[in-house]
Amino acid sequence: MDTSTVQFVYNYKDYAGKDCEAKLDITFPFEDESIGELVTQLLAQMDPMMRYLDEDINLQKELQLFIDREHQKFYDDYSEKLINQAANEELDLEAIVRNTERLYKEEMLQFADRIGPSDEDIFAQSFHRLVHSSSLEEILKRERGYAKVIADMTDHMDSEVETLKDSQQQEMDSQINQLDITTTSEDINNLLAQQYTTHNFVRKRYESELEAMMGHQKNEYRDWITSQVSQMFQVSPVSTPLGNRSSMFVSQQPSMEESFTIHLGSQLKHMHNIRILSANVTDLCSPLHVDENLNGLNMALGLYSSSLCGVVVLTPSIQAQANKSIIKNANRSTEFHFDQMDVQLEKIEKQIRALNTSDTSSTPSNGSGSGSGNSTEGSATSSPIKQHVARLKTGDFYITKHSNLSQSHVIFHLISDEPINSPSEINSRHPVILGLRNILKTASRHDITTLTIPALLRHEMSEDMTVPWCIRRAELVFKCAKGFMIESASWGGAELSTLQLLLPHDISEELFTTLAGMVPNVFRVANPKILVDSTK
Amino acid sequence: MAAGATSLAKSETRRLCAITFFARLHPGDVCGSNGLPLTPNSIAILGRSQRLKELQHEHLCQYLDVVRGKHERTIVVSEYVGCTLEDYVKRHAQTPINHTHILRIFRQVVSGLDVLHAHKLVVHNLEPRHILVEGCDDSVHVKLFNYGMHHMTKGGAYVPFPIGNVRYMAPERLLGVNGNIKSDVWAWAMLLLEQLLQTELWPKLKLSTIAWKLLAFARNANVSVVEKIAREHQRLEQYQQLPLDVRDLLERCLSVLPAQRPLPADLLQHQCLAQLSQGPVLRPNALAEPLPLLLRCPLSQIYHLWQLAGGDVQAELKKEGLIRSEAPILALPQIVRLSGASVCPPRSQSYLMDERVVLLKLQPLLQRLSRLPATVYFPLLHMQRQQQQQQQLQQQQQELPLLIRERDIEYQFRRVRLFTRLLQGYPHTADQLQREAAIDIPPLLRGPIWAALLGVLPNASYTKIDKFTATSTDRQIEVDIPRCHQYDELLSSPDGHRKLKRLLKAWVTAHPQYVYWQGLDSLTAPFLYLNFNNEELAFLSLFRFIPKYLQWFFLKDNSAIIKEYLSKFSQLSAFHEPLLAQHLASINFIPELFAIPWFLTMFSHVFPLHKILHLWDKLMLGDSSYPLFIGVAILKQLKSTLLSSGFNECILLFSDLPDIVMESCVIESQKMYECTPKSITHRQHAPRIQTPHVLDIGAAEVELQHLQSELCPRISAKDVHQLLMHTPEQLALIDLRSVVEFGRVHVPHSINIPFATVQLGERRLEALQVPQLEAHLRQRIVVCVSNIHQHAVEFSQFLVTCGVLRTCILHKGFNVLHSIEPNILISN
Repeated sequence: MDTSTVQFVYNYKDYAGKDCEAKLDITFPFEDESIGELVTQLLAQMDPMMRYLDEDINLQKELQLFIDREHQKFYDDYSEKLINQAANEELDLEAIVRNTERLYKEEMLQFADRIGPSDEDIFAQSFHRLVHSSSLEEILKRERGYAKVIADMTDHMDSEVETLKDSQQQEMDSQINQLDITTTSEDINNLLAQQYTTHNFVRKRYESELEAMMGHQKNEYRDWITSQVSQMFQVSPVSTPLGNRSSMFVSQQPSMEESFTIHLGSQLKHMHNIRILSANVTDLCSPLHVDENLNGLNMALGLYSSSLCGVVVLTPSIQAQANKSIIKNANRSTEFHFDQMDVQLEKIEKQIRALNTSDTSSTPSNGSGSGSGNSTEGSATSSPIKQHVARLKTGDFYITKHSNLSQSHVIFHLISDEPINSPSEINSRHPVILGLRNILKTASRHDITTLTIPALLRHEMSEDMTVPWCIRRAELVFKCAKGFMIESASWGGAELSTLQLLLPHDISEELFTTLAGMVPNVFRVANPKILVDSTK
Repeated sequence: MAAGATSLAKSETRRLCAITFFARLHPGDVCGSNGLPLTPNSIAILGRSQRLKELQHEHLCQYLDVVRGKHERTIVVSEYVGCTLEDYVKRHAQTPINHTHILRIFRQVVSGLDVLHAHKLVVHNLEPRHILVEGCDDSVHVKLFNYGMHHMTKGGAYVPFPIGNVRYMAPERLLGVNGNIKSDVWAWAMLLLEQLLQTELWPKLKLSTIAWKLLAFARNANVSVVEKIAREHQRLEQYQQLPLDVRDLLERCLSVLPAQRPLPADLLQHQCLAQLSQGPVLRPNALAEPLPLLLRCPLSQIYHLWQLAGGDVQAELKKEGLIRSEAPILALPQIVRLSGASVCPPRSQSYLMDERVVLLKLQPLLQRLSRLPATVYFPLLHMQRQQQQQQQLQQQQQELPLLIRERDIEYQFRRVRLFTRLLQGYPHTADQLQREAAIDIPPLLRGPIWAALLGVLPNASYTKIDKFTATSTDRQIEVDIPRCHQYDELLSSPDGHRKLKRLLKAWVTAHPQYVYWQGLDSLTAPFLYLNFNNEELAFLSLFRFIPKYLQWFFLKDNSAIIKEYLSKFSQLSAFHEPLLAQHLASINFIPELFAIPWFLTMFSHVFPLHKILHLWDKLMLGDSSYPLFIGVAILKQLKSTLLSSGFNECILLFSDLPDIVMESCVIESQKMYECTPKSITHRQHAPRIQTPHVLDIGAAEVELQHLQSELCPRISAKDVHQLLMHTPEQLALIDLRSVVEFGRVHVPHSINIPFATVQLGERRLEALQVPQLEAHLRQRIVVCVSNIHQHAVEFSQFLVTCGVLRTCILHKGFNVLHSIEPNILISN
């Protein structure tokens, strides 16, 4: 809406009886300002004596009338203008009606086309309810049983494939030894092709078997959960606590770690936990039901709660490709709640492709410089066939959801193309750091309260990662994380209760101690509360 | 009878209600024009809605609270009465309501509109659900409900959903005019028409069709809208049977051009409404059973108590399914680009605007407080007997920790009612108010109570102060405000920023002798926070607060004042914490390095608001020296850490003050304040209330350089005399003159340690070789007296190094004691 400025002219007689006037430009529509203020402004133009002559009383009265009149006039004129335009067909009434209808339909429950809760929602609620009841034990037992079957099958497949490989290798070796004696190179090629086919066949057979099994398990499991819930409803409605604050971590592998409690914020302090640890990132995403530990319980309790666990895993930009061992871990058992990880990745890849085509069509100028640079650089390293494969860039991330990994419900796959053997220097404006910020923001918006980030932005140590470089890098990440956490207080989402700083598993003990020692310097460690006997 | 009671109880419990919605999310990462991140819209809504709380009118439902939930959820709590117009009409479906009755209802609606118009507010969501009707037939009472939506969301800019029901929307609103009161007049007339024709407007039409119809009105302005509508609903005949003046009224209100529609004030003058006002206006329930006492208290107090009684709006909304908890993991995005763009699963419908209203039950609260006698509800202030009774009752509770008392519903209820009375009687009741405030201050009334303690009397001077002319300090103020207590929702809202800026500018303008020092913003923040809707009270409180505790601190050259203050602070730390003070002095950690922001802002820069409030509760009761003791109490709390830290650690520790337990800090500082003679805290620049006594320390008698060179504070002869007369067991006088002089004349019970015989090299009390000296000095105020001032200074310093508590020097030496009348000295 436009505004208009109208001059207010106030005529008065000063103490000598001379005619004077005071003027003030007032903007309409008139908003929230107090009249008294404007009166002061006008009085300031007059002789100071006028205030003592109580000129302000009359002035205020006139000003009030003037403002009321002009304010109303402004709106009336404006409305009239629009109505005339509508009458003269100068406005796109069609669009107005369309927009109005859209707004009401999309934003008001009263007008929206009601969609019932999705199957996922229903299942989520049922599961959450059930898991907070006495059935928990049974659920876990069942899950474990299912997991065992799949794990056994996978092991079986692996061993069979291994034996097959061995026998094929032997066969090949013997053939090669006989090369130019009894066999030709053509024979060898044929054999190779044949072996390849057999190998593939065996693998495929098992894989489809696995897939079928998983599908079967998933259906059975979900049916069972639903039936359990309806039973439970019949017995007694149990109110269940929402959320789960119990510790998610039962440290299983002896790794180096140290914990701190910190306070952030300049006046009002928020408490957070910081844990620095050295571990392999795949250990945080290990299969859930390998051994009889309590992780299964914790993960199940937390899955549909508002205190989720997330892990940031760095991944190169070549396709939506996750860390191989994590995929393997995820495939050790059936994913009962979400798609199997491969399927999730496939879907994401599809979306990336859609994203890129829409990207180039809608905003061709946007970031094309860096984008094309990246793609040419990328295509040089990857296979030349996939020339125009859409891909994410450094700092973007995609998310996979899991119910069968040991310490994470959510994996953030953060794209980072840092070459392995030449550690570079980055600053706080680097895309990976900004990506990290987006991750924290997403975490806050979606109630992820425990987050693990790679503190060196690397998962493995390499020769070139010198001690000073590591210190510099860690300091940067610590400080940025601190800044983002302080900022997050104003995002209005869930507060991050625990931040885990993950160091590579092959880090030296000495370096670990150095980096751990930096934490209390960067973050403000909470003072220990000491109870003093006041009677003393 | 029983039925009547239950129906009454039923209507009584429906006094409060809550609605909820989501504020619009800021897209991606955007920054404001000042480069700082944008304020979340829910905070902006919170700030804007504060103003609505002030609206109190018989035809408006009072707004009580706006709560911010997680993820931009906003919850609005307001008054609720009777039932909606919709239900009211349904209830009377058998016997149609007669026209006068309808007009009576709508007259009250207009009168509500008129009040809003006077405040430059528009409703824009007027519809049957937002008109609440109470009572029956002849004594209806109508209140507008949820009328502030348009204002709090800045015309809908802060929320994703549209405001208002299309059915009653004026055509210009569809075209995008927002804020014209005459659109409300249209809506009002549509509602009236609907009632008079006894039908529902376009009950089955689709939204878009209705919009088209309205736009069609706009396109041919010559057709009578009323007749067209009546014809469409086959009610033309009925319409034509309406009295002429009613038809005229409708015709005018439903003019397509807003300029032709009357204003609410004009409507009230219209003959068919004006004549109604003559009729007897009976308040509902006036003749029925008496209201429970609680419901005669202000609604804001009832809501406060409801919260204390365990009321939780969020839980109530959850129970009604208005806050649905969907598993957050299901809503996670799949891909998030660096730019912030993301691929998300389809948005869940639980984020849509759900217009349901949830009523909050007052019954438990009423029951909880029904046992209390009427005198608690309406305390009598000047009845001695009653007061004594009350005091006895409360004594026990007063021993509980403050935090528990603040959450005790019954206790708070008594306090709130008592203070309400006291405030009504202020300034006549100032003394009693002060006495009661010394016990504790109920959080609900803290703002006005503080103002009363500071002696504020509103006199409308605030509006006369120029708060708009640009000055040289504007830039600094602009920079400081977005950094001042921004964790607080009120202070971080745009409205909060605006108000804080006005207050600061007003203060600067009102004090031409002073300048704006950084820190004034923090100092102002608590007053603004407590009096958000009453800037004048906030300003006047600040206006009185600064000369009381921070006299001259805001001079352009305030170095002399600050130096004196900090030197006194050092002396007081030596007085109460000799070992700690000595340690800090030995590592050169002087107060200049850390304590300036403490005192310049009265700790409001270093603590969060909720702690400042408790701290200042006590501060308000003390005099200008009280802050010094708070400083010492903070040091005392950190004592063990400080004693084991070097210079660097100390700097680091104080650069971001760790969590201080405020209650023990307050208690400790109060203890010290009470056991310290007034003259110990003497400062040249302190505001003086009385003219000094001859034996007091005179205004300009202690120069800064003396103050800085003396480790121990001076005590006046008057205070020594007082101690000697009234509490000699708290005084230990060490006479440093020679044995001969001591023999000639001395103070009874004083100890003679001739300065000449003392070896100050060794830092042990035993080295003085006075039997049982340590036992004698313990728990007492140790006054060093000599003829030669330097001797006393050196000896007191020695005592401090020995860790002797409360050491001070007699100002003007032994000879001043001669002038005390009647004589206190004796000779051997």
